[in-house]
Amino acid sequence: MPEPDQISFEAPLEAAFGPVVRLIVGGIAERADFGFEAMDDLQLAVERLLVEAGSDGNVKLSFELRGDGIRTRVGPLRERGIAEALQDSEDKPGTLDLQRILSTVVDSYGVEQAADGHIVVRLEKLRGVAL
Amino acid sequence: MSTAKESGRLQLRDADRELLRRYHELGDESARDALVERHMPLVRSLARRYAGRGEPLEDIEQVGAIGLIKAIDRFDLEREVVLATYATPNVVGEIKRHFRDKGWAIRVPRALQEMNAKMSATIDRLTSTLGRSPSIGEIAESLQATPEEVLEAMEVGSAYTTLSLSAPVGEDAADPLEVIGKEDEGFEHSEDREVLAPALARLPQREREILRMRFEEGLPQTQIAEQVGLSQMHVSRLIRRSLMAMREELD
Repeated sequence: MPEPDQISFEAPLEAAFGPVVRLIVGGIAERADFGFEAMDDLQLAVERLLVEAGSDGNVKLSFELRGDGIRTRVGPLRERGIAEALQDSEDKPGTLDLQRILSTVVDSYGVEQAADGHIVVRLEKLRGVAL
Repeated sequence: MSTAKESGRLQLRDADRELLRRYHELGDESARDALVERHMPLVRSLARRYAGRGEPLEDIEQVGAIGLIKAIDRFDLEREVVLATYATPNVVGEIKRHFRDKGWAIRVPRALQEMNAKMSATIDRLTSTLGRSPSIGEIAESLQATPEEVLEAMEVGSAYTTLSLSAPVGEDAADPLEVIGKEDEGFEHSEDREVLAPALARLPQREREILRMRFEEGLPQTQIAEQVGLSQMHVSRLIRRSLMAMREELD
């Protein structure tokens, strides 16, 4: 049976579901042969993003298993503040905001515009290199 | 009302007071042991109220017994109160605290908790022998488990809800690494220091230093773990908990 290359699901933004989302992200990373560290990075990226997205309603998460890693899309999100925070290209040394966290734990990220002024955050995480 | 019964109760109370006096005034440990034994039926009956929540009854009784011992230790002989009355809220409080501290992990099967205990060492050992971060499959093979079991076990006890900015939790409580890092370095110099600094400053110094290494120096977890002498899993948890605690602080 061919391996599925895309997994999508919707989860409540409520904090209580955080561990469930982590578990699923971990399972997907495992299928993509991620090492512990790369998996942990992706889990942290998704977790921080969801925390910033508030706690009301649901969020859609989709994961594309690519040859060299996983492309994750989170959204549509209503939180415009996330887009502004992530598109702000000014280098702010010493700050520990979402931008700083994402740029540390994923290989690249971007903001895509969705309908109704919503945004989708795209995260690219490569499988990782040997230490 | 039977007078015999009443006098029996009075005798019990007097016997308790005598034992409490021997323990508190003379330091007679055997008196304390006797008090614990006499009041274990009370602990057992209180513990039974909390049975069926995923924790073996004996374990709840053990926790309750700690509450009893604390009550015996704190008992003030001057007070006109019987030990059972004084001990009850202590026992219940101890049991409740136990459940609260364990969070959702209390429903996790023992096998997963045991696997979690072995996980840190397994990851560090495999990282060192493979020269890279091990995959979940490799960790699973080493622990003779399925990848899903490994992922589940990793989540055991990783809930960050119990973290408070001021109170260290569990294995983080003892902090021999307070000395690493320098006070006025890194994020505290940020432009957003007015917003961020108070939350960051309230973190223990070790956590601040780990955040600095990870997000300012960009060091991988493996290297941070090596430098601060903790397991990778522990570093990962401290990072998550610290970020969460800081976020809660900003809200």
